Amino acid sequence: MSSEALLRVSLEAAYPGKTVLRDIHFELRRGEVLGLVGTSGAGKSTLVLALLGLLPWRGGRVTGEVEVEGENLLARSERRLREVRGRKVALIPQSPMTALNAAISLQSHFVEAWNAHESSGRAALHARMRDLLAEVQLPSDPDFLRRRPPQISVGQAQRVLIALALLHRPALIIADEPTSALDPVTQAQIVDLLRRVNRRHETAVLYVSHDLVSVLRLCDRIAILDCGTIAECLPVDELSKASHPSTRALLDTLPVPLDLLLSYRSSTAVAPLQLVIAR
Amino acid sequence: MRFNRSVAALLVGLVLVASIVLLAPRASYSRQDRDATLATASRQHPAGTDELGRDRLVRVSAAFLLSLAGAIAASAITTAAAAAVGTLAAFGPASVGWLAMLACDVFLALPWLFLLMMVRSALPLTTSPANSAAITFLVLAALGWPACARAVWRGALNLRNAEWMLHTRASGLRPVQIVRHAIPNLLPLLVPQFLVCIPAFVIAEANLGALGLGVGEPLPSWGGMLLELDNSAMLMQTRWVYFPVALLVVVLLLLDAIAVEVE
Repeated sequence: MSSEALLRVSLEAAYPGKTVLRDIHFELRRGEVLGLVGTSGAGKSTLVLALLGLLPWRGGRVTGEVEVEGENLLARSERRLREVRGRKVALIPQSPMTALNAAISLQSHFVEAWNAHESSGRAALHARMRDLLAEVQLPSDPDFLRRRPPQISVGQAQRVLIALALLHRPALIIADEPTSALDPVTQAQIVDLLRRVNRRHETAVLYVSHDLVSVLRLCDRIAILDCGTIAECLPVDELSKASHPSTRALLDTLPVPLDLLLSYRSSTAVAPLQLVIAR
Repeated sequence: MRFNRSVAALLVGLVLVASIVLLAPRASYSRQDRDATLATASRQHPAGTDELGRDRLVRVSAAFLLSLAGAIAASAITTAAAAAVGTLAAFGPASVGWLAMLACDVFLALPWLFLLMMVRSALPLTTSPANSAAITFLVLAALGWPACARAVWRGALNLRNAEWMLHTRASGLRPVQIVRHAIPNLLPLLVPQFLVCIPAFVIAEANLGALGLGVGEPLPSWGGMLLELDNSAMLMQTRWVYFPVALLVVVLLLLDAIAVEVE
């Protein structure tokens, strides 16, 4: 893991008549996994959209800086932003079923996403798709790829979205509550998958969630978003030293003592433990 | 589904019969048989003749095919225009959307019958029958799009705010690609619009023709043949004068049934 900052954020965001994010400052290093935790309505999704320059599509406005590899995206044209989205910074959205276009096949999703940034032909795409689908443990036969999103399960849809996010080997993946729509077993599998992706490709991940247990399993550092600002940001190992009331409140919701969870963090036995907790 | 298919088969059957009638040797919609004016059904004229001795079956067949083809073409133009305006208004900048919807409102508020009379009266008397038919359907197409565009606009606005649309943007798709993504989602809206417009245009052409504003003589049209019905002396002579209006009602029922079924 290099110490160079991949993402440096310093922004404020507002919807008409209402400031949602104030004084947001954080950094993300190459290959690092940062967990962004907050209660519902804390501004997590707004932050995700702001980072990608997509907030105007939801009627919001963002000021400040979002630097990716030293380039301030907020000062760039929409055309330049388009080149960065999906290629350098990819998104894994919250609800897999509505994030895929129900009217077109899975294959078409990959073809369009590929053509957005690549001019090399079908052969290159097919080779990449085969690798990716194997990596996210999905079948790659034509029969599966001809299906439309309503014909696959939610878990499969989330895997398709992860494969789509990995398509152009981005340096950063923003995962916006990627497990919130899934059952506990699939949740654990998706978190494992994200961890594997992070280890194997050195892809940095900004993992946005309100599920502290999955954050503890996956992340190196954790940032607590409260009332539109980052209340506290500290390494996961030092979470017990947290002082901010909102962090303490979150920790109090854990069904198992923090030390116990952290002791399982590096071992492979976490998945069963999380299942127990989820029940 | 079975109902829908049999209705479509019936309509196709009518088109085939009308084509055969028109393609038969010596079939002409304008040839006048002076010895048999306002005749009743006979071997030579299976549905009788009109005031000028023209074969009614041939004229009805020609009018049916002309009005159906014209209505389908006009409906295609209207739907395409509505799709273009509606999606542009939904996906373009807010000012463009506002202007497009204002244009729709202005179009919907126009006294279109009066406008149509103005357009037709502005045309020279020497306008050929074929041109008058083309103009009639073009005018109908020009008048039909605003209501449809509003519906498309609402559908496209929903698409614009859909989660998957945001994901296509987050994936860096080009605007052209995003439109390609959106079209399959608009089809369930556009196809019924297209089908609903066809019977509406058929009846609109018939009404305009009955006012003398439609397709010019000697080209046969539903409207022109409906004009016969306001002459009570003719109604007494032969029942066959009701044939065109009866067929018109049947065709409209079939077209409406298809549109409703698809919707």
